[in-house]
Amino acid sequence: MKFAIALFSAAHAPSSRRALLFAQAALAGGHEIVRLFFYQDGVYNAATSLVTPQDELDLPAQWRTFVSDHQLDGVVCIAAALRRGVLNAEEAERYQRSAVQVEAPWELSGLGQLHDAAQDADRLICFGAA
Amino acid sequence: MAKSLLLISRQAPWSGPGAREALDIVLAGGAFDLPIGLLFLDDGVLQLAAKQNAKALQQKDLSANLQALPMFGVEDLFVCADSAAERGLDPSALALSDVQSLDAAGIRALIDRYDHVMTL
Amino acid sequence: MSTLHVLSHSPFGDSRLTSCLRLLGSADGLLLTGDAAYALQPDTAPQAALLAHAGLTLFVLAEDAEARALAIPHWAKAIDYPAFVELSLHHDKVNTWL
Repeated sequence: MKFAIALFSAAHAPSSRRALLFAQAALAGGHEIVRLFFYQDGVYNAATSLVTPQDELDLPAQWRTFVSDHQLDGVVCIAAALRRGVLNAEEAERYQRSAVQVEAPWELSGLGQLHDAAQDADRLICFGAA
Repeated sequence: MAKSLLLISRQAPWSGPGAREALDIVLAGGAFDLPIGLLFLDDGVLQLAAKQNAKALQQKDLSANLQALPMFGVEDLFVCADSAAERGLDPSALALSDVQSLDAAGIRALIDRYDHVMTL
Repeated sequence: MSTLHVLSHSPFGDSRLTSCLRLLGSADGLLLTGDAAYALQPDTAPQAALLAHAGLTLFVLAEDAEARALAIPHWAKAIDYPAFVELSLHHDKVNTWL
């Protein structure tokens, strides 16, 4: 079965870890993840500048590894990302901002990608807020 | 056939970007001609209160986006009757016309009709 | 048609559990995750609300009950992530109360 997974909360939120564990279980169960879509504060999971203390769970790093290892489509909503200062090189150049926060495997794109994923998936599962 | 999506909006209009970002999902879906429904529930019904003034908070006018819904092909608009009553909203004086008022049973039936549901 | 509703907020001082229970269909499932697991706390209004809801099919994420030292009553089922995945497929859709 196909899943579209949307994440709305930042990396430090318990729901972000839950989303990752759910995504891992979905793949382990032989299912497919059509897309991971990060919206609202979820965009912070893709930020490269986050520094996690060594004795804590580094969720952004785990997400990156998960997306890369399984060659998943990891999309970060561009509007939500800009508003929160999570820019890729192109947007940093466009808006003359000094910090580049989003790199591969993440991709900045629009809400259309969320709808596209929902059209393709059997289940749309959201995580976030708490 | 396109899969349908019901978005349940629970945030008050000036409580942060939540209400706007929920509406953005709906408008994007409408722009792609997808079957989208929007239900205002709990504090979300406050988005429909009449005569609000976004400028007083230096915010963008949310009601302009709400008015744009039919233009984006989103006409399936619903409000929870209980939530509206609890918050003292007059169902005949909402900022949006053509919003169908539903009780709990009506909302249960509504959720069943859609392929996907998101509650923001 | 059935929906799996997922909650993750503490039921104390939050209206999601109350609103969700009002809208829960007879074939629906309710999964408590994160702080929503506190609804299982005995002698509380949220627990009473769960008990009062006739025919409730209730799940709780095992790790969240365990972290909070919450006992799983016989009328709730503790699940792990693989079971969470299966549950999401058993129902027709998943509605997370963000």
